[in-house]
Amino acid sequence: MTSALEVAGVSVSYGKFIAVETATLHMAPGECVALVGPNGHGKSSLVNAIAGTIKRGGQVTAFGKQIPARSTKAAVAAGLVLVPERRHLYPKLSVRDNILLGGFSKTRRLRASRAWDDVSDVVDMFPELKKLLRQDAGTLSGGQQQMVALARGLAARPRLLILDEPCLGLAEAVTERLYGWMEEITRTDLAILLVEENPVRALDVCDRMVRIYNGVIAEGVDEAAFPGHTGVEVTS
Amino acid sequence: MTKFLNLLAAGLTSGAIYAIFAACVTLWYRVSNLLNFAVGDFAMIGAIGTALLVQDQHLPFAVAVIIVLVAVALIGWLFDVGVLHYALDRSTRGARVVAVFFYTFGLSLVLEGIARAIFGTDVYAAPPIWGGPASQVLDFHIQHAGVLTIALAVIVGLALWAYLRFTVSGKAVAACGESSLGARIVGISSGVLRRRIFILTAVLAALFGVVESPVTGFVYNSGPSISLIGVVAAGFAAYNKPGRAVLAGLGIGVIEALLGGYVSTQYNDVILYAALFVIIIMRPEILGLGAESDLAGVTV
Repeated sequence: MTSALEVAGVSVSYGKFIAVETATLHMAPGECVALVGPNGHGKSSLVNAIAGTIKRGGQVTAFGKQIPARSTKAAVAAGLVLVPERRHLYPKLSVRDNILLGGFSKTRRLRASRAWDDVSDVVDMFPELKKLLRQDAGTLSGGQQQMVALARGLAARPRLLILDEPCLGLAEAVTERLYGWMEEITRTDLAILLVEENPVRALDVCDRMVRIYNGVIAEGVDEAAFPGHTGVEVTS
Repeated sequence: MTKFLNLLAAGLTSGAIYAIFAACVTLWYRVSNLLNFAVGDFAMIGAIGTALLVQDQHLPFAVAVIIVLVAVALIGWLFDVGVLHYALDRSTRGARVVAVFFYTFGLSLVLEGIARAIFGTDVYAAPPIWGGPASQVLDFHIQHAGVLTIALAVIVGLALWAYLRFTVSGKAVAACGESSLGARIVGISSGVLRRRIFILTAVLAALFGVVESPVTGFVYNSGPSISLIGVVAAGFAAYNKPGRAVLAGLGIGVIEALLGGYVSTQYNDVILYAALFVIIIMRPEILGLGAESDLAGVTV
């Protein structure tokens, strides 16, 4: 079986500053992996490089398909979809249009009403959004916006979903609900790469954990940092 | 009453001209967050180019129009590939205030300079599509070119409105302007869309220049004032809705004509610049002040 994600020697630099150094990562289909590490140590840079939104060196292969650098189009076509940090919705478009555009790569030539038929089932996962479909996305609360971002990601019909800090800036209660939702989708055959600052929380839903420190994917488990999770496998 | 109706007709005609350019400016702003100050120059090239090809080269009108539209499309493509692509797609986001105006303003100056060298300083008008003297309905003069201008404005306005509202591709256009990263992660190539819309609006403007030139005539430097009116009228639609931009354009035309007829034509420019001030005061975000930064994303 081809792996969901094969990252080989990926580096990201901003001018002279090296954010990620020759990262290597492997994910099996349906696997849920947490990418943890302190703020500013390259988590977001790595997943953005994988999803093709920023310049990088190295190879990324998703489900057997090469993803060229800076080609989100190829990534989406291969089934690799990023839900970025801070969501990046389209604030003046309605919730419905935001979700509808998630399916853009497959529905670009269609009328909007037909395209909506193709993706509207993702709203079933977020009943709360049903009454908000006509509202502009920018007017929603942070938690609701995160749901829209997730729904938009799912509308792209991903086989590997990358969630970059989905709970950043959200209230505790909202975070819990998002985690409940993530547990639900990890039971499907969707692979998830979850970027989290909080490793303990991430392990509630993930099968294993990868740590990144100073732009380098770390080897070995830091027992002191994650008590009670000694069984966790950490890839290098 | 007759005077009023004739003024109204004249106002709607010049308003339709503003309307089209406003719609073109709006559509491209939607996808790129940039104002197109060269849109009037494309109209100038369309009108003068067609006029010269017909008069001097004795080409059939339709052939001349096609040649000119292809040339305009080519200029638009070159400008995007050669300038905007390097300025916008490759760099991290630069100073937005500069980008909003600078590149198309520069293009406008370049086109004007080239046009002066090639076309000289004479006034040109493309041959009318629907010739003959003005029709007389009751007491009411109807310029044929005016009728065509209004009809084309309405058709283009409706088409753009429907495109943005009812198609996935039209919504993708809006998404690009709202959040470029947000657009890219769902597989929208914002650079490609920006280029397509730029070429489309350039060609539309050129076509419109051909249609309306029997009414106004064109000189090598007619472009900037047309662009400015387009940018101002588009401002009333918040650079957001081409359909509303068309209405704003028509409104400005009618107000101008009525004031000119009943008060004095001296105030036309005053109205235009006053309107520009109102827009800048009410919508400072077009200058990049207080605009939502793409990096910060959507936060409420």
